[in-house]
Amino acid sequence: MVNIICEISKYLIIFFMILYTVKCFTILSVNDEQSRRKKLNKQIVYVFIIHFLCYLTLYLRMGSYKLLVFYGVQIFVAIFYMVVFHTIYKDSSRLLTNNTAFLLLIGYIILTRLDFDLAVKQFIFATVGMVITSFIPFIMNKWRNLRKYGVFYGVIGLLFLITVWVPGLGKEVYGSRNWISIHGFTLQPMEFVKIIFVMFVASMLVKANSFGDLVLNAMISAAYMGVLVLEKDLGAAVIFYVTYVFMVYLATSRPVFLIGGMGIGVLGVIGGYVLFKDSLFRHVMVRVEAWKNPFAHIDGGGYQVSQSLFAMGTGGYVGSGLAMGKADTIPVSESDFIFSAICEELGVLFGLALILVIISIFLSFVNIAMKSRKAFYKYIAFGYAAIYVVQSFLNLGGVTKFIPSTGVTLPLVSYGVSSVLSTLIIFSVIQGVCVISNKEAAKNEKEKERIRAIKEQYQSGNPY
Amino acid sequence: MVTIFVGMMAYVVYFMQFRAGTVIANSRNARQNSFAEVVERGDIITSDGIVIATSSTDSEGNTSRSYPYGSMFAHLVGYDSYGKSGLELQANFYLLRSHINIFERVYRELKEEKNRGDNIITTVNYSLQEAAYNALGGCKGAVIVMEPDTGKILAMVSKPDFDPNDIDNVWAYLHSDEGKDSTILLNRATQGLYAPGSTFKVVTLLEYIKENPYDYDLYEYDCSGSEIYAGVNIHCYDSTAHGHESLADSLAYSCNSSFANIGMGLDFGEFNKTTRALLFNSELPYEGEYNQSDFVIDENSESYAMPQTAIGQGDTRITPLHNLMIVSAIANGGTLMKPYLIDSIENDDGARIKKYSGKSYGNLMTAEEAQILSDYMKGVCDYGTAARYFNGASYDVAGKTGTAEYDNEGNCNSWFIGFSNPDNPDICISVVVEDSNTNGLSASAVAKSVFDTYYNMQ
Repeated sequence: MVNIICEISKYLIIFFMILYTVKCFTILSVNDEQSRRKKLNKQIVYVFIIHFLCYLTLYLRMGSYKLLVFYGVQIFVAIFYMVVFHTIYKDSSRLLTNNTAFLLLIGYIILTRLDFDLAVKQFIFATVGMVITSFIPFIMNKWRNLRKYGVFYGVIGLLFLITVWVPGLGKEVYGSRNWISIHGFTLQPMEFVKIIFVMFVASMLVKANSFGDLVLNAMISAAYMGVLVLEKDLGAAVIFYVTYVFMVYLATSRPVFLIGGMGIGVLGVIGGYVLFKDSLFRHVMVRVEAWKNPFAHIDGGGYQVSQSLFAMGTGGYVGSGLAMGKADTIPVSESDFIFSAICEELGVLFGLALILVIISIFLSFVNIAMKSRKAFYKYIAFGYAAIYVVQSFLNLGGVTKFIPSTGVTLPLVSYGVSSVLSTLIIFSVIQGVCVISNKEAAKNEKEKERIRAIKEQYQSGNPY
Repeated sequence: MVTIFVGMMAYVVYFMQFRAGTVIANSRNARQNSFAEVVERGDIITSDGIVIATSSTDSEGNTSRSYPYGSMFAHLVGYDSYGKSGLELQANFYLLRSHINIFERVYRELKEEKNRGDNIITTVNYSLQEAAYNALGGCKGAVIVMEPDTGKILAMVSKPDFDPNDIDNVWAYLHSDEGKDSTILLNRATQGLYAPGSTFKVVTLLEYIKENPYDYDLYEYDCSGSEIYAGVNIHCYDSTAHGHESLADSLAYSCNSSFANIGMGLDFGEFNKTTRALLFNSELPYEGEYNQSDFVIDENSESYAMPQTAIGQGDTRITPLHNLMIVSAIANGGTLMKPYLIDSIENDDGARIKKYSGKSYGNLMTAEEAQILSDYMKGVCDYGTAARYFNGASYDVAGKTGTAEYDNEGNCNSWFIGFSNPDNPDICISVVVEDSNTNGLSASAVAKSVFDTYYNMQ
């Protein structure tokens, strides 16, 4: 009986996941307020069903009452967030709150299956993070001169980034020196520095009115890249670089910056490879080799990717069902390789839908950025959109063997306190931009209304 | 950016459609074993329908594996506890997949019973395996038989052996003081590295023909029983003087002096190239466990290494499987067919799921070279060293014997490589018998019994 319930749930989960994904895109193109609200409410129902079926399966397979309590608390927090955030910020994007809650819930589900304690830890930090970051749109509304501190952001970010070299503070993980540890509490400075970095680039671009400003901006940004390369955190270096190039292109709207920037990036990678392939880029080489033929290096660098491909291939399109696969044997399945765990147990179809959800989030970010009339907010929204999409791509591409693996997390889904908190900050800043630009739009609308009214009065020939 | 994501999704779908099947069948995929919780491991069956490995499940759902013919198929089939080996390892994925019809599957799922896994039909023929197993008797050694035009392995025996039904005791023995140096788990047919002895003269001969394509058959030599080359004294077997001989005679009588003479005239670098083309020092196109063969001479070698190497002594090492590949290419007009053991996969109702067929690896030599070698090797069995075994047989054989000394006390291993019916070869064989000087068993005699069985079956 248990088998049959779990089998049916497996297919239903995929079915509702597809419905949810479709809504993500149809909402983007709907302008009618009424049908929009309807669709957004439906999404919440789908989230509820998917989450319920997953925990039902987990409970039947793992049989612990703790799961039921955890389930209840999770779904309460998620729905509370999706409803209350919008009640406080009338002009926020409900699609974004839905997606935020949904990605976190998927993360909790897989983490519960892999390691219950880790899931609880992730849940606590994410919930605290959600509460704190809820104030961000409010703060952004209050302090409207955030754009003025460009160089200050640049320096603070850089200082924070090099803390990994402070003796007794920094530590090396998987060949990259990109963690710090304070009293056993570890975090990745890069996760927070990328937020400051975007603010830095945005504010420099806002006041850039000469070529010299662009050069100064480029030099400080290059310092970031240099530090990241020395930390051997190549994934992060790619994220920062692509984000930077996209932002400069947006600000100048000159294709030469986009094409030239990408060209320099490719040259940089080739140059770095030729010059440092035996020293600085050694562990990168291992990953490239492992990418070319993971099975030939299965006892070395190819182990992770081989296991990931075994997981996806064996799980198949519909997956093995939660707790029925061997997702716990994929190396770092709780963070970098969480997507393989999702594909193995919830199915590759579910995984593909999840990729589409991630694309829709990116598109909604770009949408919000484009609607903003204030250059600074436009730039930061766009910068965060770039960070989100590049990081997701590096993660997903790495675990599916589309590109060499770079060791970055899947935002909001992967376990990781730094990663979840920084992504929540990014999402909240975007909400802030959305709130500000919607308010402004409303104000403009009112202003136009007033002018039209005056005009009409004037034309009727009876101004007073 | 969106385009790149769509590309990535397309790649995932491509992977799932076309690559996943092979990837997950990789024997390192630990997930295969989790299938064992819901699937009862399928049977392994010979090409003539005899079950050589099967499973049974008791009322409590515990599955046990049994091997009706015990040690006869030990290395070929392998074992399934304490790790895996042989076909149990190679075909693990297929044995643990069930393609049983959907109604039975649901019915069993409801009853919470295991589904029957798919069965593996091997290329191995029971009668030939039995003949090879019996012919080797109590001697150490290996026999491997294959169809040269398809690559189907028809028999594979390695001794000493073990009983896979009794793997618990085998394992205990191997971890005891007495058994810790035992090699009973080694599949000598594919993993045993032996000096090739005189069977290597076929390779030396091939190189001579390559270097003298127009006048190789004008070769003449006067054998006095022994000769010194590059300071190395080379004896013919029992120091027999073979007298005046042609190239064909040199091979037929397996004349060491003459072949050392041939070897001294060869280009070392070219010789190395030829052995590489014959897959020495390289991976073999074989899916199971095997070892690579060694050949050490190249253009930088000193000339004193050559006389021994040319007659198959020296530092050359080869597996019976690799020697079989070389001889099968000679039988098959120079083309090596990849040796394979799995003929097809069927579900429990006998419906075919997947059929394997012969795949060519490529040419190891030209058709002309293969034809010349085949003709010369026929001389070995007609009037040469193997004639006393094959004269009077109802079939023709082309082959090469070998006696490889492995120490300075006269202890040696006996070799035979060859194929029957050289005009249109039926089967080829590679046999090695260890310590033939003490047990008195010749590899040629083993080959003879296998050929006899094959032609009696027809």
